[in-house]
Formats: sequence, structure tokens, C-alpha cells
Amino acid sequence: MSARHSRKGAATPRGASAAARTGGRQEASTSPRGARQQTVRAQGQWQAWLRHHRAMCVDSLRRLVRQPVGSLLTMLAIAIALVLPSALWLSLDSAKLVDAELDASATLTAYLDKGVSESETGRILEALEAQSEVAATELITAEQGMAEFQQSLGLDDALARLDENPLPAAVVISPTTPSPEAMAALSERLSAMSGVAEVRLDLAWIERLRQLAELGRRLTLALGVLFGLGVLLVVGNTIRLAVENRRKEIEVVTLIGATHAFVRRPFLYSGAWYGLGGGLLAWGLLTLGSDWLAAPVASLAASYGAHYQLPTLGLVGSTTLLTCSTLLGWLGAWIAVSRHLAGIKPR
Amino acid sequence: MIAFEHVGKRYGGRFEALSNIDFRVSRGEMVFLTGHSGAGKSSLLRLIMRLERPSRGRVMVAGHDIDKLHPSQLPFYRRQIGVVFQDHQLLFDRSIYHNVALPLEIRGLAPRDIARRVRAALDKVGLLHREKALPIELSGGEQQRVGIARAVVNKPALLLADEPTGNLDPQLSADIMGLFEDFHRIGTTVMIASHDLALIARLRHRTLRLSEGRLVADEEAA
Repeated sequence: MSARHSRKGAATPRGASAAARTGGRQEASTSPRGARQQTVRAQGQWQAWLRHHRAMCVDSLRRLVRQPVGSLLTMLAIAIALVLPSALWLSLDSAKLVDAELDASATLTAYLDKGVSESETGRILEALEAQSEVAATELITAEQGMAEFQQSLGLDDALARLDENPLPAAVVISPTTPSPEAMAALSERLSAMSGVAEVRLDLAWIERLRQLAELGRRLTLALGVLFGLGVLLVVGNTIRLAVENRRKEIEVVTLIGATHAFVRRPFLYSGAWYGLGGGLLAWGLLTLGSDWLAAPVASLAASYGAHYQLPTLGLVGSTTLLTCSTLLGWLGAWIAVSRHLAGIKPR
Repeated sequence: MIAFEHVGKRYGGRFEALSNIDFRVSRGEMVFLTGHSGAGKSSLLRLIMRLERPSRGRVMVAGHDIDKLHPSQLPFYRRQIGVVFQDHQLLFDRSIYHNVALPLEIRGLAPRDIARRVRAALDKVGLLHREKALPIELSGGEQQRVGIARAVVNKPALLLADEPTGNLDPQLSADIMGLFEDFHRIGTTVMIASHDLALIARLRHRTLRLSEGRLVADEEAA
């Protein structure tokens, strides 16, 4: 014991003089502050800032990897919170496609007076096409109507027994603006035209579908906000524990002059990593889920004679999901650290 | 360097930890702060570090009223002060080297400069050969030396120490005090709180004695 101390005692004075020498040289080199040196200093600070960011980015990832189970559970919780609103958003996106098709197929049907002559029909058609709200017209003569009717009902014999064709000629009109209000106004105006017996449009089901779509949109938004808050809470709670675990370290670095930004940085990176990990897991779950559902959805659609493909995230969707999850993780960490740093005072 | 002007500090409205403290410490001076535990030594040091704010009076450090410092300026103020704690406040999850490097990493020095200065500081306290060790592998006296290396690696103008020899035997205590005298010799202002009266008497420096929150004696070295 005593031998060790005497050895150290001997080492001390030598070291002291060495430190004093380097100290003196340093002071002399930093005292004149020319413009050039200011630039060098600013550059050095910028480099130091970058260096610390890089170091903390790697360090926080290393801490995550060191506790794989805990980190994975946190990320899984984030992923589950992200999957539901993302799936809803996806299905809504495909509903938008259906909506667009609806708009394209929104038409009015004008039934003409019974027994109008062919020349009169031509005149009415011209008058209809002259309207600025009318994009296109398609004439269905009484004979065509009868043929379609027979085909769709399979009542050839019964209808053949009728003395005369009971169906009027009809014009299918595609409006330029397919909004319900514009179509209602157009239908009113057209029914006042001479030679037009009646204008039919089935707005109710279009309206219903639109409202359903609106409901879906709002539901997705509400769920998105709620589950986004969920992600913030999950990350916030994890970071709160991390801050608590490193309390001593935070106290010490604060004592020796660390800024809040310096203390906060590793935790912000941890939050961002959690968010990114959760986002990647959510992406994986969504891909798996849509693969799993693809076959039954396709056969269900086929049974309705429709072709429907489950929507996928695509490049833009995937980037959005990962960016949002990373930002949410970062934000959750920021809130947690800011709240808890205020409570940590060096003793 | 340090000026206390009629400083008082109350905790919780009632308990008066310090009252009417008035003294000056010149640049480059070495001063001991003595008194029984609870006499207010730690409170006084905490006021200088601006971990506490005075209830009355002014604390001036290097010509500035430190009560007027904005919270965002505090880190930069604290970087100019080296502090040695009785319980050394080392971080046990990293090596001696990284403990000492911490103040320089906070200041954002380049790794090459950090290495040079950390080794100089460790050499100074005689622990260069232990730079890769963890604090837990070191004895109490060695841990305290690491704490001192960390306090001086930044080359602070002011070095504060709160009971730096609290748990050490007399020989180790004398070694530690010898280190502080070395820094005093190269121009650092040093203020050490200690109740080791025998050791202080031998070292012959100015001594401020506190008793129940009052400055009862200010003795120049004989």
C-alpha cells in the first residue's frame, strides 16, 4: 500500500510541470481573437455539433440494441398503434377510387314523351346537348329499351305478347359537374323542357355513399390522432424511464456545464429510433396483413363480378408512414425529456 | 475573483443557512473554508456554482453578479469552474478516460485535443496508467484523483472543492491537498471546504471560518 503511494507521489511533480507547460502554451495561442480565428472557431463549433449528433445517434442505437427485448416490445406497441389508422387510411384511399368511379357514372335519365317522332327526338337531343351543364348524351330508343329490358329480365314471351311497346325513348345524360346539387338543379330545368316527360336521378344512394366516405374519413382522422397520442405516450413513458435511469449522469453533466440541448440529444435520438423501429414493424404488419387478406377479398369481389385489389402502401405511403412514426417518436421523447429535465436539479 | 456582499440564504422561508456573509477572494488566491458540518460551507459553494441563488445580497464572480445570469448562460458559466466533490460524482458506466474527457466533450473539443488534455490531466494526478480502468476498480483516493483530473481538465480559472479529503486517511489527504497547491501555484483560484483543521493549519493559507451560517473568522496565513 505504502509503496504504491510513494510511487504516485514521485510521479506527481513531474506531471504537474508538464501540465503547467501545456496550459501556458494554450492560453497564449487562444488569447488573440482575430476575424480569421473567429471563423475557425465557428467552424470548429459546427463540427463539434455535428460530431456530437453523430456520436449520440450511434450511442442511442447501441443502447437500444443492448436491450433487445425491451426495445422490441416498445417498438411493437408503437407498431400496433400505427397499424390500425394506417389500414383505415389505406381502405379510405381505395374508397376514394370508388368515389371517382361514382362521379364518372353519375348520370340523369330523361324520359321523353311517348310517341315523339324521330325528328322531334333529334331536336330534343340537340337542345339537350346545347346546355353547358351537359357533358354527353346517349339516346336509348324505345326499341333498344325494350330489347335491354327483355334481356335483363328474361321475359321474352310475356313481353312479346304486348300489343305495343310501352317504353318511352330515353336519353342518358352525363353532367359536366356531378355534384348532387348541380344535378338536382339540372334535372329540374330539363324536366321543364317540352318533349321531356320526366327526369330521373337517383341521388339518395350517391349521397349515402358520400356520407359513408365522409364518416370513414373522420373516423380515420380521429383514430389517427388518438393512436398518434398513443405513440407519444408509449415513447414518452419509455424515455421517462431512460431519463430516470441516467439521472446521475444528467446531474453530473449539468454540474459541469452541459446545455439542455446536449443533455436532451441522446434521448431525442432514442425516441426517433423507437419511432422508426415501430414504423418498420407496422409496415411489415400491414404488408403481411394485406397478403393474408388478398385471396379472400379477390374471390369476394369476383363473386360480385367486380375486380378489386387490396391497396398497398407503395413508395409514397411507406415513406409517409416511416417519416410520421420517426417524428412521433422524436416528439414523444422531446416532451418526456423536457418535462423531466426541469425536475432534475444537481445536488 | 469572488466577492460576497452581505449574502444571506434561507431555505423554505425559515431556516437561515447563511446570514450576512461578506468577503472577497482575489484572483489566484487559495482559501480554505472551515466550520462544523451544517455551518453552511456547502451552501456557500453552491451559491458560487449558482446551484442556489442568494435570498439577500450579491454574489460576484469574475466581476459579474451571477444572480443576473440567464438560465441559458448557466452552462457556459459553469464551464469556467472546476468542482471536486466529496463523493467525486464519477460515472460508473465508463472508463476513467471518458470520465475525465466529459467536460471537454461538453465543450465540443476535437477528439485529438481531448486525448491530449485528458492524458495531461491524468498524468498530473498520477493515474495515466489507469485510463482504461472503470471507477469501481479504483480505491477511494484514486477515485478522488480522477474527480480532480475531471475538474481541472478544462483549465478552469476557479477550482472549488467540497470536502475533497472527507473519507481519506491523513497521508492520502495530504497528497490531494498537495495537488490543489500545485494548481494554486500555476495561478488558479482555489477554494476548499474542509473540516480537517489539523491539515489546514499545516498548509498555511487564508482560512474562512463559518459557524451557524455566519462568517466568524477570516484568518490570513500566519
